[in-house]
Amino acid sequence: MDKWQIIHIPNKPAIPPNQQPTVNVFASMVETKLANTIIRRLNQVAPLENLRHVKRIQKKFLEGGKTQLSMILCLADENDNRMNSLPQDVQELVNSYQLSPFITKVCKNAALSKEEWEEQCKLWPTSYHPPTYNIDGIPGFNEDDSQSIFSFMKSAVELAQSGDGSIVNAAVIVDPSIKQEIASACDQICCCSISTEKNSLESCSEQPEVLSSDLFSNGESNHTSLPPNDFPSETRKSYSGVSCLNPWQWAQENSHTTSCYWHPLRHAAIAAIQSSAARDRLLFPGMGHEGDKPNGVHNIQPTSIGTPAKRQKTDLANVENSEELDPSAGGFHPESARPYLCTGYDIYLVWEPCVMCAMALVHQRIRRIFYAFPNPNEGALGSVHRLQGEKSLNHHYAVFRVLLRKEILNKNEVVAARTSTTNTNATTVCQ
Amino acid sequence: MASSGEEWSPDTLAFMDLAIQQAKLALDSLEVPVGCVILEDGKVIAAGRNRTTETRNATRHAEMEAIDVLLDQWQKNGLSQSEIAEKFSKCCLYVTCEPCIMCAAALSILGIKEVYYGCANEKFGGCGSILSLHLSDSKMLNSGDVLGRKGFKCTGGVMASEAVSLFRSFYEQGNPNAPKPHRPLVHQAMN
Repeated sequence: MDKWQIIHIPNKPAIPPNQQPTVNVFASMVETKLANTIIRRLNQVAPLENLRHVKRIQKKFLEGGKTQLSMILCLADENDNRMNSLPQDVQELVNSYQLSPFITKVCKNAALSKEEWEEQCKLWPTSYHPPTYNIDGIPGFNEDDSQSIFSFMKSAVELAQSGDGSIVNAAVIVDPSIKQEIASACDQICCCSISTEKNSLESCSEQPEVLSSDLFSNGESNHTSLPPNDFPSETRKSYSGVSCLNPWQWAQENSHTTSCYWHPLRHAAIAAIQSSAARDRLLFPGMGHEGDKPNGVHNIQPTSIGTPAKRQKTDLANVENSEELDPSAGGFHPESARPYLCTGYDIYLVWEPCVMCAMALVHQRIRRIFYAFPNPNEGALGSVHRLQGEKSLNHHYAVFRVLLRKEILNKNEVVAARTSTTNTNATTVCQ
Repeated sequence: MASSGEEWSPDTLAFMDLAIQQAKLALDSLEVPVGCVILEDGKVIAAGRNRTTETRNATRHAEMEAIDVLLDQWQKNGLSQSEIAEKFSKCCLYVTCEPCIMCAAALSILGIKEVYYGCANEKFGGCGSILSLHLSDSKMLNSGDVLGRKGFKCTGGVMASEAVSLFRSFYEQGNPNAPKPHRPLVHQAMN
């Protein structure tokens, strides 16, 4: 069975596991029979308040079946490494049990991943509690969900190559509760790709040709390290059609486009949001202003000062308790099946979105974002900015990267280029 | 954030007042009250107000509405992409509230010349409050040379208290579109 990898992109920048910040502590070897007594005393006189993840005792197994215990005595001054800087109480313990303090390093922060934890324990043992979130998938995806994620990402990749021969970004919005596509779109910076917008109601819903799964990353061969977070510069050029990678490029074009419409801000995610909003209006007409339908656009635009803002902060606190992130509890009301914006929905993007698109997805209340390739120029989900970690925002989505092999684009680019030579007039307008 | 003590030119105040009028239109339509106008050579060439509820598209902020008016018009007039870029580089935006991160990024992508805003946007602001996308080289270290990256001049606090009082009216009348448990609507005199 072919396996692929889906990686959670956390709210805080990931530190290479072997470069985690450390602090200095005083430690000493202790005799096993004294360990209990000393640790009880140390917990009173020198509790490790900000190092709760650090284990006080390290146990080493020596040759011949013996064990050796070392114990953290107290924090050490980072600048002053002299032994005589021990606090009085600790010094007394050292004297009475004839300990030999030495300085060693422990990791300053609790591990956020198993990899970090394993690295931490090389310095000094720590404890690790895997994070618990309310958004499905952060602790991992089951086989069924993975299959579905894989298949929607395939649709997005296919869509990204469906235009005039140059590769663009593509977005597919999905309701994961029924595994159904809600809307999809390509970059629509130029008119030639405008026909690729569709939502699930429009007739042009031909199934994208399924890509053979061997194009996707094989998780087993790729297990330990993330692929480089950057394309080599010469390859980057070949993706110049991807709006989120090159948001400013539109201004360099010099074509007169009287015959068709183009829009410098219609990146794939923005176009897909527009399409899903159109679907909402079509499916649920007349549920706009009146009544108490779950149609809140509350909080979309800001208040900043005075009582309303305070009230909103209370709301924010609720949201941060993950109420809204739970698909069954948020704005999505199954009894009416009427979505509140894109609450509960996922979006699949071939490239990590730029800051404009990433913020648009906050506004539209997307629940999870899956992207395949990082955006070193402008990426707003970890590469340059990290909106999922901006505490002040009123909505937070979970972000995942689906690891695909880069060749998936190159292979198909060849195919797409071949197609476009037989269909030349489509490309001329925008190039 | 006192607006009385500030010294704004009569023009600045007049343009911001037009933006406030747009925000009032939004309020009348039960939309979050944000409005804007765009100027070219000292003349108003577009106006916009928030339409997120009506469109069910939370990205339809006032700025986006006004920008689309211009893109439509200029393309109808047959301008090329680079000519339109040239146009935007001469435009000023007056908006009642600091552009959010999305709109600030959009304004930078378009290469707008200058932005005046009313109140700060402490939750979503992209012109200094949360991110500073108006500064052209804020992220250069990380991203190297990106073709055509642009910043814009940004001035806040113009008629801020007026902008805030509109938000206050909006939330005091109760947002009829807010998800449930929320404050009840204040019923009008006829009840």
